[in-house]
Amino acid sequence: MEERAEGRPTLLDELPGELMMWVLIVSELVVFGAGLAAFLAVRITDPSGFAEAQSHLHRAGAGVNTIVLVTSGWLAACAVQAAEAGHIGRLRSLVAGAIALGAVFLVIKAAEYVDLAAAGISFETHAFFTFSYLLTGFHAAHVIAGMILLAVVAVPGSPRAVETGAAFWHMVDLVWVLLFPVVYLL
Amino acid sequence: MTLTRAWLMLLVLSAASTTLAASGMRGTVFVVLVLSLAGGKAHVILARYLGLSTAPSIRAGFDLALILMLIVFAVLGAAA
Repeated sequence: MEERAEGRPTLLDELPGELMMWVLIVSELVVFGAGLAAFLAVRITDPSGFAEAQSHLHRAGAGVNTIVLVTSGWLAACAVQAAEAGHIGRLRSLVAGAIALGAVFLVIKAAEYVDLAAAGISFETHAFFTFSYLLTGFHAAHVIAGMILLAVVAVPGSPRAVETGAAFWHMVDLVWVLLFPVVYLL
Repeated sequence: MTLTRAWLMLLVLSAASTTLAASGMRGTVFVVLVLSLAGGKAHVILARYLGLSTAPSIRAGFDLALILMLIVFAVLGAAA
Protein backbone atom coordinates (compact mmCIF):
# COMPACT_ATOMS: atom_id res chain seq x y z
CA MET A 1 0.00 0.00 0.00
CA GLU A 2 2.82 2.32 0.97
CA GLU A 3 4.58 1.62 -2.36
CA ARG A 4 1.43 2.49 -4.29
CA ALA A 5 1.03 5.70 -2.31
CA GLU A 6 4.54 6.71 -3.31
CA GLY A 7 3.69 5.91 -6.95
CA ARG A 8 6.33 3.26 -7.28
CA PRO A 9 5.55 0.56 -9.87
CA THR A 10 4.47 -2.87 -8.66
CA LEU A 11 5.54 -6.17 -10.22
CA LEU A 12 2.32 -6.36 -12.24
CA ASP A 13 3.10 -2.98 -13.79
CA GLU A 14 6.04 -4.67 -15.53
CA LEU A 15 3.68 -6.96 -17.46
CA PRO A 16 3.47 -6.04 -21.13
CA GLY A 17 -0.11 -5.77 -22.40
CA GLU A 18 -3.41 -6.47 -20.68
CA LEU A 19 -3.40 -8.17 -17.27
CA MET A 20 -6.54 -10.17 -18.13
CA MET A 21 -4.86 -11.58 -21.23
CA TRP A 22 -2.05 -12.84 -18.99
CA VAL A 23 -4.59 -14.42 -16.66
CA LEU A 24 -6.04 -16.18 -19.71
CA ILE A 25 -2.57 -17.26 -20.91
CA VAL A 26 -1.70 -18.76 -17.50
CA SER A 27 -5.12 -20.47 -17.31
CA GLU A 28 -4.70 -22.03 -20.75
CA LEU A 29 -1.18 -23.22 -19.93
CA VAL A 30 -2.46 -24.86 -16.74
CA VAL A 31 -5.34 -26.56 -18.59
CA PHE A 32 -3.18 -27.84 -21.46
CA GLY A 33 -0.34 -28.72 -19.06
CA ALA A 34 -2.72 -30.84 -16.97
CA GLY A 35 -4.09 -32.48 -20.12
CA LEU A 36 -0.63 -33.33 -21.40
CA ALA A 37 0.45 -34.66 -17.99
CA ALA A 38 -2.69 -36.86 -17.90
CA PHE A 39 -1.90 -38.07 -21.44
CA LEU A 40 1.64 -39.06 -20.37
CA ALA A 41 0.39 -40.69 -17.17
CA VAL A 42 -2.10 -42.89 -19.06
CA ARG A 43 0.63 -43.71 -21.59
CA ILE A 44 2.57 -45.47 -18.82
CA THR A 45 -0.20 -48.11 -18.65
CA ASP A 46 0.10 -49.00 -22.36
CA PRO A 47 3.34 -47.72 -23.94
CA SER A 48 3.25 -50.09 -26.93
CA GLY A 49 -0.41 -49.28 -27.66
CA PHE A 50 0.36 -45.55 -27.51
CA ALA A 51 3.40 -45.98 -29.80
CA GLU A 52 1.32 -47.92 -32.34
CA ALA A 53 -1.47 -45.35 -32.20
CA GLN A 54 1.00 -42.48 -32.56
CA SER A 55 2.32 -44.00 -35.79
CA HIS A 56 -1.04 -43.13 -37.44
CA LEU A 57 -0.53 -39.40 -36.87
CA HIS A 58 1.02 -37.07 -39.45
CA ARG A 59 4.27 -36.38 -37.68
CA ALA A 60 5.81 -34.52 -40.65
CA GLY A 61 2.66 -32.42 -41.05
CA ALA A 62 2.76 -31.52 -37.37
CA GLY A 63 6.42 -30.52 -37.75
CA VAL A 64 5.49 -28.28 -40.67
CA ASN A 65 2.68 -26.85 -38.56
CA THR A 66 5.20 -25.87 -35.90
CA ILE A 67 7.09 -23.84 -38.51
CA VAL A 68 3.80 -22.38 -39.74
CA LEU A 69 2.69 -21.27 -36.26
CA VAL A 70 6.01 -19.78 -35.11
CA THR A 71 6.20 -17.88 -38.40
CA SER A 72 2.64 -16.67 -37.92
CA GLY A 73 3.59 -15.58 -34.39
CA TRP A 74 6.54 -13.65 -35.79
CA LEU A 75 4.21 -11.80 -38.19
CA ALA A 76 1.84 -11.01 -35.31
CA ALA A 77 4.72 -9.69 -33.18
CA CYS A 78 5.91 -7.54 -36.09
CA ALA A 79 2.32 -6.26 -36.45
CA VAL A 80 2.47 -4.97 -32.87
CA GLN A 81 5.61 -3.02 -33.73
CA ALA A 82 3.91 -1.64 -36.85
CA ALA A 83 0.89 -0.58 -34.78
CA GLU A 84 3.15 1.19 -32.27
CA ALA A 85 4.86 3.00 -35.16
CA GLY A 86 1.46 4.04 -36.53
CA HIS A 87 1.88 2.08 -39.77
CA ILE A 88 -1.70 0.89 -40.11
CA GLY A 89 -1.35 -0.50 -43.63
CA ARG A 90 1.71 -2.53 -42.69
CA LEU A 91 0.10 -3.84 -39.51
CA ARG A 92 -2.98 -5.01 -41.43
CA SER A 93 -0.80 -6.78 -44.01
CA LEU A 94 1.16 -8.51 -41.25
CA VAL A 95 -2.01 -9.53 -39.43
CA ALA A 96 -3.46 -10.84 -42.71
CA GLY A 97 -0.31 -12.94 -43.15
CA ALA A 98 -0.60 -14.27 -39.59
CA ILE A 99 -4.26 -15.19 -40.17
CA ALA A 100 -3.44 -16.85 -43.51
CA LEU A 101 -0.80 -19.01 -41.83
CA GLY A 102 -3.37 -19.87 -39.16
CA ALA A 103 -5.59 -21.13 -42.00
CA VAL A 104 -2.68 -23.18 -43.38
CA PHE A 105 -2.25 -24.74 -39.93
CA LEU A 106 -5.93 -25.71 -39.85
CA VAL A 107 -5.84 -27.19 -43.36
CA ILE A 108 -2.85 -29.40 -42.45
CA LYS A 109 -4.57 -30.41 -39.20
CA ALA A 110 -7.82 -31.16 -41.03
CA ALA A 111 -5.93 -33.38 -43.50
CA GLU A 112 -4.72 -35.47 -40.57
CA TYR A 113 -8.23 -35.74 -39.12
CA VAL A 114 -9.62 -36.79 -42.53
CA ASP A 115 -6.98 -39.51 -42.93
CA LEU A 116 -7.60 -40.79 -39.40
CA ALA A 117 -11.35 -40.89 -40.05
CA ALA A 118 -10.78 -42.68 -43.38
CA ALA A 119 -8.76 -45.30 -41.49
CA GLY A 120 -11.73 -45.80 -39.17
CA ILE A 121 -9.97 -44.16 -36.23
CA SER A 122 -12.20 -42.26 -33.82
CA PHE A 123 -12.20 -40.91 -30.26
CA GLU A 124 -13.00 -44.38 -28.97
CA THR A 125 -10.42 -46.40 -30.92
CA HIS A 126 -7.77 -46.06 -28.21
CA ALA A 127 -7.06 -43.85 -25.20
CA PHE A 128 -4.28 -42.24 -27.24
CA PHE A 129 -6.80 -40.93 -29.76
CA THR A 130 -9.21 -39.79 -27.04
CA PHE A 131 -6.45 -37.55 -25.68
CA SER A 132 -4.95 -36.51 -29.00
CA TYR A 133 -8.34 -35.53 -30.48
CA LEU A 134 -9.27 -33.61 -27.33
CA LEU A 135 -5.92 -31.80 -27.00
CA THR A 136 -5.36 -31.00 -30.67
CA GLY A 137 -9.06 -30.27 -31.27
CA PHE A 138 -9.19 -27.86 -28.32
CA HIS A 139 -6.00 -26.25 -29.60
CA ALA A 140 -7.44 -25.96 -33.12
CA ALA A 141 -10.49 -24.23 -31.63
CA HIS A 142 -8.11 -21.70 -30.09
CA VAL A 143 -6.44 -21.20 -33.48
CA ILE A 144 -9.86 -20.33 -34.97
CA ALA A 145 -10.62 -17.98 -32.06
CA GLY A 146 -7.19 -16.36 -32.46
CA MET A 147 -7.73 -15.79 -36.18
CA ILE A 148 -11.06 -14.07 -35.47
CA LEU A 149 -9.51 -11.98 -32.68
CA LEU A 150 -6.60 -10.89 -34.89
CA ALA A 151 -9.04 -9.83 -37.63
CA VAL A 152 -11.12 -7.87 -35.10
CA VAL A 153 -8.17 -5.97 -33.55
CA ALA A 154 -6.67 -5.13 -36.95
CA VAL A 155 -9.72 -3.01 -37.83
CA PRO A 156 -9.15 -0.20 -35.29
CA GLY A 157 -5.43 -0.98 -35.36
CA SER A 158 -4.69 0.65 -32.00
CA PRO A 159 -1.41 -0.59 -30.46
CA ARG A 160 -3.15 -1.79 -27.28
CA ALA A 161 -5.77 -3.80 -29.20
CA VAL A 162 -3.22 -5.34 -31.58
CA GLU A 163 -0.92 -6.23 -28.67
CA THR A 164 -3.81 -7.98 -26.90
CA GLY A 165 -4.80 -9.94 -30.01
CA ALA A 166 -1.19 -10.88 -30.70
CA ALA A 167 -0.74 -12.04 -27.08
CA PHE A 168 -3.63 -14.49 -27.52
CA TRP A 169 -2.04 -15.69 -30.76
CA HIS A 170 1.33 -16.23 -29.04
CA MET A 171 -0.43 -18.24 -26.34
CA VAL A 172 -1.77 -20.52 -29.10
CA ASP A 173 1.79 -20.77 -30.41
CA LEU A 174 3.17 -21.49 -26.94
CA VAL A 175 0.67 -24.28 -26.28
CA TRP A 176 1.50 -25.90 -29.62
CA VAL A 177 5.28 -26.01 -29.00
CA LEU A 178 4.53 -27.92 -25.76
CA LEU A 179 1.78 -30.11 -27.23
CA PHE A 180 3.67 -31.13 -30.39
CA PRO A 181 6.57 -33.05 -28.76
CA VAL A 182 4.35 -34.76 -26.18
CA VAL A 183 1.65 -35.99 -28.58
CA TYR A 184 3.70 -36.48 -31.77
CA LEU A 185 7.29 -37.22 -30.78
CA LEU A 186 7.62 -38.96 -27.40
CA MET B 1 17.39 -10.43 -29.51
CA THR B 2 15.32 -8.93 -32.33
CA LEU B 3 11.99 -10.45 -33.34
CA THR B 4 13.54 -11.84 -36.51
CA ARG B 5 16.37 -13.47 -34.57
CA ALA B 6 13.81 -14.96 -32.19
CA TRP B 7 11.90 -16.37 -35.17
CA LEU B 8 15.11 -17.82 -36.64
CA MET B 9 15.94 -19.34 -33.26
CA LEU B 10 12.49 -20.95 -33.18
CA LEU B 11 13.04 -22.38 -36.67
CA VAL B 12 16.41 -23.83 -35.63
CA LEU B 13 14.95 -25.38 -32.46
CA SER B 14 12.00 -26.80 -34.45
CA ALA B 15 14.36 -28.29 -37.03
CA ALA B 16 16.43 -29.82 -34.23
CA SER B 17 13.31 -31.46 -32.75
CA THR B 18 12.31 -32.91 -36.11
CA THR B 19 15.85 -34.15 -36.83
CA LEU B 20 16.03 -35.78 -33.42
CA ALA B 21 12.69 -37.53 -33.96
CA ALA B 22 13.74 -38.66 -37.45
CA SER B 23 17.00 -40.10 -36.09
CA GLY B 24 15.08 -42.96 -34.51
CA MET B 25 16.52 -42.25 -31.08
CA ARG B 26 14.28 -43.35 -28.19
CA GLY B 27 14.53 -43.65 -24.44
CA THR B 28 15.16 -41.26 -21.59
CA VAL B 29 17.84 -39.19 -23.35
CA PHE B 30 15.47 -38.66 -26.28
CA VAL B 31 12.66 -37.58 -23.93
CA VAL B 32 14.93 -35.11 -22.13
CA LEU B 33 16.36 -33.67 -25.36
CA VAL B 34 12.99 -33.23 -27.08
CA LEU B 35 11.44 -31.60 -24.03
CA SER B 36 14.49 -29.35 -23.57
CA LEU B 37 14.08 -28.12 -27.15
CA ALA B 38 10.37 -27.50 -26.46
CA GLY B 39 11.34 -25.57 -23.33
CA GLY B 40 13.77 -23.49 -25.40
CA LYS B 41 11.04 -22.64 -27.88
CA ALA B 42 8.58 -21.75 -25.11
CA HIS B 43 11.21 -19.51 -23.48
CA VAL B 44 11.81 -17.61 -26.74
CA ILE B 45 8.06 -17.14 -27.30
CA LEU B 46 7.56 -15.85 -23.75
CA ALA B 47 10.60 -13.57 -23.82
CA ARG B 48 10.35 -12.06 -27.30
CA TYR B 49 6.94 -12.66 -28.82
CA LEU B 50 5.08 -12.01 -25.57
CA GLY B 51 7.54 -9.33 -24.47
CA LEU B 52 8.58 -10.73 -21.09
CA SER B 53 12.20 -9.80 -21.82
CA THR B 54 11.20 -6.37 -20.49
CA ALA B 55 9.93 -7.92 -17.23
CA PRO B 56 12.82 -10.09 -15.95
CA SER B 57 11.21 -11.04 -12.61
CA ILE B 58 8.00 -12.22 -14.24
CA ARG B 59 9.92 -13.97 -17.01
CA ALA B 60 11.91 -15.85 -14.36
CA GLY B 61 8.65 -16.95 -12.73
CA PHE B 62 7.28 -18.23 -16.05
CA ASP B 63 10.58 -19.98 -16.78
CA LEU B 64 10.50 -21.70 -13.38
CA ALA B 65 6.91 -22.87 -13.90
CA LEU B 66 7.82 -24.06 -17.39
CA ILE B 67 10.83 -26.01 -16.12
CA LEU B 68 8.75 -27.67 -13.40
CA MET B 69 6.07 -28.63 -15.94
CA LEU B 70 8.68 -30.07 -18.32
CA ILE B 71 10.28 -32.05 -15.48
CA VAL B 72 6.87 -33.61 -14.75
CA PHE B 73 6.49 -34.40 -18.48
CA ALA B 74 10.01 -35.88 -18.60
CA VAL B 75 9.46 -38.11 -15.57
CA LEU B 76 6.13 -39.37 -16.95
CA GLY B 77 7.55 -39.69 -20.47
CA ALA B 78 10.61 -41.63 -19.33
CA ALA B 79 8.51 -43.92 -17.13
CA ALA B 80 6.61 -45.36 -20.12
